[in-house]
Amino acid sequence: MKTSIVVDVAFWLLAVFAVYTGWRVFRTDSMVRASFFLLLSFIAVGVIMLLLSAVYLGVAMFFMMGVEMMVMALFMVMFMMNPAGLNPMMMVHQHRLSIGAGVASFVMLAAMALLAEFPRHPLPNDVQPVAALGNELMGESMLIFESAAVVLLATMIGVVVLSSQRGRFGSAEQGSMPPGLEPGGDPAGMPDEDEQAGGHHHCH
Amino acid sequence: MALSVMLEQLVWPLAMVFAVLGGGVYLWAVLDGLAARSFGLPQAQSVWLTPLSRGTWLLIQQANSTEAPDLWAWRLAPALYLALAAVGLALVPWSQGWVATDLATSLVLWGSLEALATVVIFLQGWSANSHFALVGAYRYVALGLSYILISMFVLIGVALPAESLALTRIVASQQDVWNLVRQPLGLPLFLMVGLALTFRGPFNLADPRDLAGGTSVEVSGPPRLVWELARSAMLVAFSGIAATVFLGGWLGPWLPGPLWVMLKMLAILALLAWLGRWFAVMTPSRCLSLMWLILLPLAFVDLVWAGVVALL
Repeated sequence: MKTSIVVDVAFWLLAVFAVYTGWRVFRTDSMVRASFFLLLSFIAVGVIMLLLSAVYLGVAMFFMMGVEMMVMALFMVMFMMNPAGLNPMMMVHQHRLSIGAGVASFVMLAAMALLAEFPRHPLPNDVQPVAALGNELMGESMLIFESAAVVLLATMIGVVVLSSQRGRFGSAEQGSMPPGLEPGGDPAGMPDEDEQAGGHHHCH
Repeated sequence: MALSVMLEQLVWPLAMVFAVLGGGVYLWAVLDGLAARSFGLPQAQSVWLTPLSRGTWLLIQQANSTEAPDLWAWRLAPALYLALAAVGLALVPWSQGWVATDLATSLVLWGSLEALATVVIFLQGWSANSHFALVGAYRYVALGLSYILISMFVLIGVALPAESLALTRIVASQQDVWNLVRQPLGLPLFLMVGLALTFRGPFNLADPRDLAGGTSVEVSGPPRLVWELARSAMLVAFSGIAATVFLGGWLGPWLPGPLWVMLKMLAILALLAWLGRWFAVMTPSRCLSLMWLILLPLAFVDLVWAGVVALL
């Protein structure tokens, strides 16, 4: 198989970029920046997959990681006490353990890359990667994929239905009562009955 | 030999993409001005000159800064949004054999651009270190998911009759009847995605007046110019994709293919300009309800419709 020099140069540039941005994930001081450095790393890997003729998987990497990293950044900022993600914070913890795990996994993966016997199957000229992938996923495992998809979609819609109730104190037809200061307590901030002059009601 | 191949496969298609992007952005600004005038809004000067004078003014204006922004992300976000728009327009086939990026999965790549646009718009608002901008950014992220979902279902619908994810094959599948007729729900839903993606008209919730300009509240001068260019460019790229998947792309009598594509893009831009001025801005919670309770089920109906028609 003939590959052009342009493809080789693109591969090496993208590989270096993927490793560099992957390293920046741990050196930056903000969760938002870390998420998007990881996204850049995945995008570089996605382009490498395009170079390897995996046209669907490469492009799928872009949209999957785009949404995933965005949601990850959003939730990390939401759950940690760092409101905007712009305040500097340490992005690594358990230093010794993580250094050990990093070195061990690097040695393992490098050994696999160097020692394993990789098969040599040049791509046939008439290969149709998208159709082949579709048959692989949707032939044998159709039922599993389809049921997982329906369950996920139903979950998403359910969450939105449960959480999209409008109004600060509930929907309008239930009456807008402020919640109590303790669970089940009297509505907070309500004036006493005898203080009200002229039968003026604040809450309906 | 090599030079002529390079010219034909790389240089001319790219030149075409940039020319249409530039011309399209200008024409969009003019169409928007005409739409405003048709609703009786006063225009300070000729609608043909306004975009140029505004652009020049932004170019010479000072670029603002805030206290401790993420300067890299802040300066890069408008440029990245513009780059996403350019990649999107590069996917549009001008004729049977004239496509800048002819990929077997070009439809999915357009979907990825919509997802990556969410990241870029968020970065624009987040990196300014300013709270109205941040609210705009979070708003876009919270609502963006619903736009992307509707877009995905509508686009799967147009891939079904073509039995392919390549935009060239999708155009070819409309030889007899356009998807506009075959899937009548598709284009109206997709047009709303287009307005939402570039936050215009009723869906301008990322850069709206209630947030004093939202994600771009702190941005002035050349970065502001790039941001506004990028928003318009994304709409131009969107109109190219909409013309390709619903209006039969290059198909049409008498005129050459590329001209047909451009005319159809112009028609979509004019319709969007008018729709954007016709509808008022929604509140975010109503927009969320509209997206999830009405438009998303309609997108399902569109998909089932497309499937049944494809089976018959």
